[in-house]
Amino acid sequence: MDTLLTAEIVASSPQFRRKSSIFVDAIHDLPEKADLAPAQLYSTESGRLFHSGRIVIITVGLPARGKTHISVALARYLRWLGVKTRIFHLGDYRRATIPFGEDMPDDYFYVNATASSVLLRQKIVRKCREDIYHFLNHENGQIAIYDAVNPLASGRRSLAKEFAKHDIETLFIESWCDDERIIEANVRSVKISSPDYVSWKPEDAVKHYLNRISARIPQFQTMEEKDLNYIKMINAGERLIVNNRSFGYLSNRIVFYLLNLHIKNRRTYFARAGVSLDAASYKADASLSEQGEDYAQKMTECLLAHREAEKETMVARGDVNYEPRPLKVWTSTRRRTVETAKYLHEKGYTVRQRSQMSQLNPGVCEKMSERRIRAEFPDEVAKHELDPYHHRYPRAESYHDLAVRLEPIILELEREQNDLLIIAHESVLRVLYGYLMACNAADIPFLEFPRDEIIEIIPESYQNEAQRIHIPNLPEEIIPASPEDLKIPVPPSGFVSPIQGLGSPADGLATPQSGLRTPREPERISQQHVEDVV
Amino acid sequence: MPLPLPGIYLPVNEQSDTSKICVVMVGLPARGKSLIAGKAMRYLGWVGIPARVFNVGNYRRSNTPQPQATFFDPHNEEGERMRRAAAQAAMTDMLQWFKKDQGVVSILDATNSTKERRKWIAQECAAAGIETLFVESICDDEDLITNNILEVKTTSPDYKGQDPELAVSDFRKRIGNYQKVYETIGEDEKSYPYVKLINVGSTVIINQIKDYLSSRLVYYIQNLHIKPRSIWLSRHGESQYNLTGRIGGDSSISERGEAYARALPELMRKSGIPENTKIVIWTSTLRRTIQTARHLKADTGFEKLEWKALDELDSGVCDGLTYQEISEQYPEDFKARDDDKYNYRYRGGESYRDVVIRLEPIIMELERSENVIIVTHQAVLRCIYAYFMNIPQENSPWMEVPLHTLIKLTPGAYGTDEKRFKADIPAVSTWRGKGTSATHQEFPAGGH
Repeated sequence: MDTLLTAEIVASSPQFRRKSSIFVDAIHDLPEKADLAPAQLYSTESGRLFHSGRIVIITVGLPARGKTHISVALARYLRWLGVKTRIFHLGDYRRATIPFGEDMPDDYFYVNATASSVLLRQKIVRKCREDIYHFLNHENGQIAIYDAVNPLASGRRSLAKEFAKHDIETLFIESWCDDERIIEANVRSVKISSPDYVSWKPEDAVKHYLNRISARIPQFQTMEEKDLNYIKMINAGERLIVNNRSFGYLSNRIVFYLLNLHIKNRRTYFARAGVSLDAASYKADASLSEQGEDYAQKMTECLLAHREAEKETMVARGDVNYEPRPLKVWTSTRRRTVETAKYLHEKGYTVRQRSQMSQLNPGVCEKMSERRIRAEFPDEVAKHELDPYHHRYPRAESYHDLAVRLEPIILELEREQNDLLIIAHESVLRVLYGYLMACNAADIPFLEFPRDEIIEIIPESYQNEAQRIHIPNLPEEIIPASPEDLKIPVPPSGFVSPIQGLGSPADGLATPQSGLRTPREPERISQQHVEDVV
Repeated sequence: MPLPLPGIYLPVNEQSDTSKICVVMVGLPARGKSLIAGKAMRYLGWVGIPARVFNVGNYRRSNTPQPQATFFDPHNEEGERMRRAAAQAAMTDMLQWFKKDQGVVSILDATNSTKERRKWIAQECAAAGIETLFVESICDDEDLITNNILEVKTTSPDYKGQDPELAVSDFRKRIGNYQKVYETIGEDEKSYPYVKLINVGSTVIINQIKDYLSSRLVYYIQNLHIKPRSIWLSRHGESQYNLTGRIGGDSSISERGEAYARALPELMRKSGIPENTKIVIWTSTLRRTIQTARHLKADTGFEKLEWKALDELDSGVCDGLTYQEISEQYPEDFKARDDDKYNYRYRGGESYRDVVIRLEPIIMELERSENVIIVTHQAVLRCIYAYFMNIPQENSPWMEVPLHTLIKLTPGAYGTDEKRFKADIPAVSTWRGKGTSATHQEFPAGGH
């Protein structure tokens, strides 16, 4: 059994810092000891949650059933929970094994394939499996997602047996679909964008693609193996069948997550709360100042105008009946976020207050200038600089604490079918953005949300895209950061904020975190995955 | 939007929008329906969602207190008529409850074993704007059924005062009568949101779940297990702040607190730990709970987890003050807190309601786990205790949980058994009665 460490010990060790921020690649530059992820509940020496073993999640399903979408979404969630997860796309191995320009044998997926095809199949699977073992045994991986078609019961049973020999549990996730519309939409959105189908009519391309699948994979057996652990997702989540032989903590969590997952194309907007009267005080929970009121109004106008413009663009493109999804607003229970939503509320939009969305608690650092924090807590500042994500000032919350607290919000975010505006403190926006964009935990404290921008997140098949909407005519002093911001994380000594003195009191109150890292491009959770045309 | 008052404002619309849900239990007798219904109601009530069980059997009993199995024979017209009347009465009351008392989740606990009955329920609910969620429990494991019959049904009011053996045989006949007409939820009912639990969740079919609240309920039900286990609760040993009557803070334990920490392993043994039982120790991230569990961990080698979610209620600006100081510095707040202690949120801090929300993942974990000892703080312990013992919100913040006392909770089919073990190490009493600002007193002298 793992020796447990407290987050603090882990946090104060420099080797735990992640070097890269791109998901798939970052796994390879992880140090031997594990990193902590955004919402990991506790830490262990091996980096694995001790009340769950190592699991291989094996996808089952014909192409165009959303397997990869599910794999990517699951990886995003698990990784955020602090479970070291990696996706292994069998297709990538197939392409790497079959020389470029050569086609895979016609009988590759057949039950009674020729000996040479069976050998080829075994070779490809073996290589992939070796990598999975390496990840789980030598890289402290906890969950490997094995993304493949796995059409036959016999093959699935032998996979489970093989992994069991290595003391690894298996959980099969089948995506099964008999709703032609879902399959067609999937084919259209992700399959026929390949170069093979340039200049094809979409309908013809879809038909051709589906015909190729049925010729290639003539036999597909849906999961009925009562001796295996599986979750069968029918028609993109309309129904879930759970065959629970020995579900542990993580498997149950995965069911809950899948229950909330949908593939709707809705938007999430992030906006900061307005400036408040007693902005330096966390505990005061003050109302909006006059500037804050002004911001609330301008933000509202800007967002509504943006949505209107988007609608017009869609209509102009020929989608005459385009209606944006209804907009909902979530705020924290802190006054200034509730009051920032006032105008939207007056216009009849639904506003929900969520107590989990209160800002990061600054603890003893409340109302303190950076200079004072450095003078009074030099040891804490040193620890903080080593790991701004996990370090917790006395009586304060760390970003990690905040992420754990926000988990129900994350699930509701996945479930929500309407467009959603989230008005919250910058610390909360950082964590939520970090989830949606799969940011590295170490980068989350440094994400920037200047007040003159609304962030819009648009889901795409393999990654989410973020775009910034500019709010015009705001007084400059409220844009970069207001004194409401916590003076943590404290920047390294000698750091000069490029925006120092911008409308802030003499004491160096300008936000220390701005400019620490260059603004980042939206992250991808996975490399652009080259889709198979089987 | 009503703008919040300082300190005491309530989250508006905290719960999942406006959807109202009727959870409809489906299944033969002795399939654990009432257990699931009872637990779900307790869980929902605890997270602040108004929930109520409508047990059709109770309605039927008012006319037919102790019917024979023949009453349930589908060919017994009189029995059939009376059972339908009972279902109708339950439905009427339920709809009334949604309308008048702002109910959010009702649980209709009955066999609801025919398609016709389920269709009627779905229609009645739809007409009233209420979503339905059918929860069917199917069990073909004979041992499980027999256990259930023996444990639960021999204590049922239907058989009160009767020979247990006759009761069991009559009850089996009754099940047989239900079996004649029982129809599992079928493909022609696939437009209903439903969960089918087969053999205590070894297979679960989840269909058409439409809202987050339902998904939470499903997740909750899926985490339930029926293995015997206990949960031990303890506050931290007496702290330096307890001695000076201050609230909050992150002080170390006092000498007497340390004595309690040393006594804890023995106290645990005294409370009874079944052989070969693995227990997991949960503490908060604050010093006083970690120190209190230190010797227990060293002595037993049990796994230990530190949860931020188990930290004490954050008293905001009042952190580090005595009750006396609070009543002087924030007299209005002090009074407001007494008026509604559950909802009162300290300036810049938390309310009991907030603590419950952050404890929800802990409860899910507890339902899933087996033996756990939790070393935590007064307010947090009150909330966890309230969940297991079904203490209403208005009482739980006032509950007395003395220092240096180990509470052992053993959940059973129809309630939780509680035993307390005192360590016999003196400590101050930190309990404060409504309207007083009493300083912490020497235990057991406490004047409450």
